[in-house]
Amino acid sequence: MIRFENVSKAYKGAEGDALHDISLEILKGEFVFLVGASGSGKTTFLKLLLREEVPDSGSVYVAGRDIGQLSHWRVPQLRRNLGCIFQDFRLLPSKTVAENVAFALEVIGRPRSVIKEQVTQVLDLVGLGQKHHRMPDELSGGEQQRVAIARAFVNRPLVLLADEPTGNLDPATSQGIMKLLDRINRTGTTVVMATHDVGIVDAMRRRVIELDRGKLIRDQARGVYGYDNPSTSRGIPAVSVASVLDEGLGPATGRVAAVRARRGIR
Amino acid sequence: MALSLEYFAKETASNLWRNRVMGLAAVLTVAVSLSLVGTSLLLRQAVNRQVSQFGANTSLAIFVNPTATTQQQADIRSTISQTPEITHCTYLDHEQSYEQAKKVLASAPAAVSVLTPATTPTVFRCQLANPADATTLMATFQQVPGVYMATSPVQSIHVLEQVTNVLQVVLIVIALLLLISSLVLILNAIRMAIFARRREVSVMKLVGATNWFIRVPFMLEGLVQGLLGSAVAVFIVLLANLGVGYLVHRYHVSVLSSTVLPAHDVLMTELIVVLVGAVVGVAGSTVAVRRFLDV
Repeated sequence: MIRFENVSKAYKGAEGDALHDISLEILKGEFVFLVGASGSGKTTFLKLLLREEVPDSGSVYVAGRDIGQLSHWRVPQLRRNLGCIFQDFRLLPSKTVAENVAFALEVIGRPRSVIKEQVTQVLDLVGLGQKHHRMPDELSGGEQQRVAIARAFVNRPLVLLADEPTGNLDPATSQGIMKLLDRINRTGTTVVMATHDVGIVDAMRRRVIELDRGKLIRDQARGVYGYDNPSTSRGIPAVSVASVLDEGLGPATGRVAAVRARRGIR
Repeated sequence: MALSLEYFAKETASNLWRNRVMGLAAVLTVAVSLSLVGTSLLLRQAVNRQVSQFGANTSLAIFVNPTATTQQQADIRSTISQTPEITHCTYLDHEQSYEQAKKVLASAPAAVSVLTPATTPTVFRCQLANPADATTLMATFQQVPGVYMATSPVQSIHVLEQVTNVLQVVLIVIALLLLISSLVLILNAIRMAIFARRREVSVMKLVGATNWFIRVPFMLEGLVQGLLGSAVAVFIVLLANLGVGYLVHRYHVSVLSSTVLPAHDVLMTELIVVLVGAVVGVAGSTVAVRRFLDV
């Protein structure tokens, strides 16, 4: 689904590479955590996928296509296949929940009947079916992030990119968001999530890719936030999160392991 | 597509409303500048028509001295017939000449009252193959005995044309300066609209809206501002034309009757005004969209 081949990217005026010689592959249906300190290149990684940036060298493939070679007018087509959510939600404050979600379909020219149906469906999926007429500022942070997820997912993208989606949320709300992302992942959508949230990464036990100053320093099949230290190296207990998530997430972890196994065969 | 049209219309309308103060400034500047363009075009046409009317009627009038002898009158006649530049000539006797004078001087009854048929000089009204010869022929006929005066409207036409040219250059320069500033005002209005919509724009880019889809509402906004401005200008130009017509009619200045332009000339001018308005609007917004809408 996603392949990086010897990708390097440097910003003008910045010291060193934002990303240095990154090669990796993410398969369809995988759930991947992207971890690393601030400035380690996580956001650049996501920007390269969205083609907000192009690599200085190397190639980025999404769904088999080298997106560095895409002509300018094909970029929107790429982005229709990528859903995107952020720490700060990025909702439109002047539109209701349903309008915010519908906007994503409106601006790519979907017919109205389709929009109505899809919006209702996706709002039910994220658990906001009853709040479709509310304004974003009437909602809690967690609910706003759910709207953002609904907007990112309403067009059924191949990949969902999440840039610290729980960064502004309390742990309990974060769990809810992670459950939702897991449900979306189980529909076959590849999820790539950049995060600092130790508890979540440790509890989910998914593939972890760690970046440090632009270099890929770890790619672990069922990893945790810190190196081989299940109880985390940062001293934040993951137990409470883990216990909540374990109920809903158990089977999925197994599935990813299977995916990883298939990858090994290839 | 139907949804897109509805979406574009809705977005453009809401942009225009949000941005109405800047928009109004842009629209008014377009209106003033296009009014000048329109009036200057009308002026040019009116003067051209008036000049060609003068030229077609009489290019040379040779007034005969009332004291001229019959022999002298015959000489004048033969000189005229031997001049190849003159294509056609009519002779007005005292009575006809008096009638003509009454018409020309209709707006000055005092001057007419001192004239009688007997004191009005007889006149040869001649048409020239080429109005440019008028000045030379005037000088020639002035020398012929028995000629009281040879006149030609060529000189006054010349002055009229010169004045109009200067006036037109001045009007066009002012209009151009105003057009440039209206372009800049539209550009700025669109820039502010883009700024006000930057959240929407960033979301649109993220979910894969095409560049044109993002750009069109802003460009339409510029087009509408240009067209609104030209609508006002069309109205002003129409009023100017009607005003001239009214004045000519009111004061019976029949000599100037050809300054009242026929409907199709006015229509052409109005079309040009609308076209220039549309071009300014689209140009302003295109520049704004290219420079400030990073898609």
